[in-house]
Amino acid sequence: MAPESVSLIAFLALMIWGLILPGLLRRSLAREAAKRNRPHNSLLERHFHSTDRFGAVLTQVNRSDNGPNGVHAFKREDRAKTYLRRIVALTGATQIGNKYVLDVGTTRFTVRDGYVGRLRHATNPKSIERETCFYFALREVPRAEQIAAALLQLKNNPALFDKWVAQSGLLFKADGTKVQPRPVMEPWWNAN
Amino acid sequence: MNARILTFSSRGDTTLLEYDPETADMEEVNRVIAEYETKTGAQPFDMATGERIDKVTHQQKEVLMVHPIAGG
Repeated sequence: MAPESVSLIAFLALMIWGLILPGLLRRSLAREAAKRNRPHNSLLERHFHSTDRFGAVLTQVNRSDNGPNGVHAFKREDRAKTYLRRIVALTGATQIGNKYVLDVGTTRFTVRDGYVGRLRHATNPKSIERETCFYFALREVPRAEQIAAALLQLKNNPALFDKWVAQSGLLFKADGTKVQPRPVMEPWWNAN
Repeated sequence: MNARILTFSSRGDTTLLEYDPETADMEEVNRVIAEYETKTGAQPFDMATGERIDKVTHQQKEVLMVHPIAGG
């Protein structure tokens, strides 16, 4: 082979390599960045990704169905309202304006944004209504979902209202158990 | 059809895990739910009935982990 041909082949090979190399580097860097930016959802992720006991059944872990905050805020609110409608139907509550009325036995709860009222005997006009505000363990949960959660909890455990009134500022699980502030005041994926 | 465990979070409704209820090891599912409860205080509710459940079974197709609430 003529020395000119060898030089030409070498030159072409270098040019092609020069074109491909930056692309490969970019992909590699992007992959590394994605790994670093992935949220710490170690509990579920570690568990299900490191074992196969679940048997190829897990399709996704810690998927936000709405995307990050702000990006799909409208969609997020819409979905939250859909969940609220479902839970209103499940609990037998009724919507009156911006309030949700829930009857549990003879007790009537009125839930609205951040507030819940209780009328012990819904049929007795002399019954006195008490009201307290409530807040969710996680911040920035859509309001519709907060109301939905309160309706679910009160339907299952109406005595929670007394705890919310008597021990304001303390978080209670749905079954009425008091929880320590630390584990619930931060998102679970940051808890480790 | 897959079953899923979801929760309301600051990211909106979030799927915590999704599995095939026909083949999944439910003990494993419940163990993870228990761990999640320990970390967050959230407890499981069946989204078909609206009732709080102690254990998730093959029957539940959608379970909502409801976080604690405080009065103020």
